[in-house]
Amino acid sequence: MSTEDSCPSKANPAIGRLPRPASMITNVDVSALVDTDGGMIDRSIYTDRGLYGQEMRRVFARSWLFLAHESQFKKPGDFFTTFMGEDPVIVTMDKTKTIRAYLNSCRHRGVRLCRADAGATKMFTCTYHGWSFDLAGALQSVPNEKAYPEDFDRKDWSLIDVPSLATYKGLIFGNWDPNAEPLEESLGDMRYYMDAMLDRDPEGTEVMGGVMKWELEGNWKLAAEQFATDWYHVNMSHASALMVMSPTGRGPKAEIAATPGRQFVAPNGHGAGFPTHPKSRFDAGPVHEYYDYPALRERLGDAAVEGPMTTGHATVFPNFSYLPVNGSIRVWHPKGPDKIEVWAWILVDKSMPDEVKDAQRLYNLRTFGPSGIFEADDGENWSEVQAISHGFVTNSVPLNFQMGIGSERNDGVYPGQTSELYSDAAGRSFYKHWAGLMNTPAWHEQGQPGQ
Amino acid sequence: MSEAINLGSIDDIDEGEAKVVSGAENGTGEDIAVFHAEDGNFYALDDNCTHETASLADGWIEGTEVECPVHSAKFCLKSGAALCMPATIAARTHKVVVEDGEVLLYPNTSAVPASA
Repeated sequence: MSTEDSCPSKANPAIGRLPRPASMITNVDVSALVDTDGGMIDRSIYTDRGLYGQEMRRVFARSWLFLAHESQFKKPGDFFTTFMGEDPVIVTMDKTKTIRAYLNSCRHRGVRLCRADAGATKMFTCTYHGWSFDLAGALQSVPNEKAYPEDFDRKDWSLIDVPSLATYKGLIFGNWDPNAEPLEESLGDMRYYMDAMLDRDPEGTEVMGGVMKWELEGNWKLAAEQFATDWYHVNMSHASALMVMSPTGRGPKAEIAATPGRQFVAPNGHGAGFPTHPKSRFDAGPVHEYYDYPALRERLGDAAVEGPMTTGHATVFPNFSYLPVNGSIRVWHPKGPDKIEVWAWILVDKSMPDEVKDAQRLYNLRTFGPSGIFEADDGENWSEVQAISHGFVTNSVPLNFQMGIGSERNDGVYPGQTSELYSDAAGRSFYKHWAGLMNTPAWHEQGQPGQ
Repeated sequence: MSEAINLGSIDDIDEGEAKVVSGAENGTGEDIAVFHAEDGNFYALDDNCTHETASLADGWIEGTEVECPVHSAKFCLKSGAALCMPATIAARTHKVVVEDGEVLLYPNTSAVPASA
């Protein structure tokens, strides 16, 4: 039973060790559900339990997923628990100060090994029967080990490793695919747009405070897609919030409400929209005053400062989104087809003085915290969409994604293909990429019968 | 000042209601809505919301404001000011005078004195 090479960082031979009968798994061709040329989406992709299972296998098990920020790990043993799709994972720093990630499920009877949100530890010891794993994922202790068969080898029962881990400017991503395309290639031109938030400060970024977590009724794609593509809702959905935030109480000036802007459309599902204006601004006064705009223009380029650095929105496919203006970075954790768990961090520049960081934190909470005046509007929309979408007739009527069809182009200023600020282009691309993954067997399906 | 158009008796427009004077009739090319506000006075605005195409005459008149029936933007009947999102641009006003129980509309003459 034991193998010479049972290092937990290899390609997880334990996954699929007991081959399942092919009849257990049904994969559906979703081509007819996602008409990105005509701009229509079938509502079943938000509600169907079978498709949801297929998403877990073919989207979440093979995409780069945001795990945590590097600043959450300072010493060996620091850990943070999160999810990749619905798979629980422990992210930790091992004794060599390398970031590692493991499936957070005891190899013995499968209970969640670590139940704390975050902390520091020497060992991950299961609360059920006491199997204990070290920071490298190796099984170190099995109570009453003498009762196991002679060929029982602890090396065979290491934690399941997340085989591909990579960071981009402080953000840690993981991928269950051992041969995943490198993270930087997967991000592609998206890096330029991310840099407008991640690379303002030569010292980099850090997260402050804890992680805010809240639940919403809604399919994860509703939120992820909106952050990729949807500026259209802003003046309508957020009308009252925009009025409260404005000096007059009546809303922003006409030229701000009808701002020009661009929308980045990545072929692999990422998207970012942002107004463009020559005078960049941060709504949190102390943050605006802190920034040395000429230096930022020097560092990031004029176009980045006048566009994606401020009031934009973005999604890194599939479920990591961010808002540069308030440093909100968040994951839309899927919890079944009908529920999202939002996990939101506050990102700030390391070099900011404490009072500036605190101003950004308060502004973040006021606008896009769990009870933020904008966040509440968005959550209400997604929940309203989801609440009715199991009605048979309701579910049978396609949704419209036609805005800006054919508008994607290289605009000569921003990298990659861009569309208008008001456009569904990045949303269409999000669903096109999603459908491509859904229709293609993943790494764990190679050589399996019936695939 | 432009020539007045006599819209008839004040009793022809109920309080809280509005009458549309077509662009052809008023000579501006744009429809004008004449409102009988809840303060008893008459006011006139271009009959098109500055946000998206919608008749303000079909809206809700509350006090001296009108709320667009489509996206709920509000305008001040006296000044035309946009009072809330999603409108951000003021509506054009036209002078209205009541003389001898008759409503006189002065198209293209602002209701707001230039110095105000």
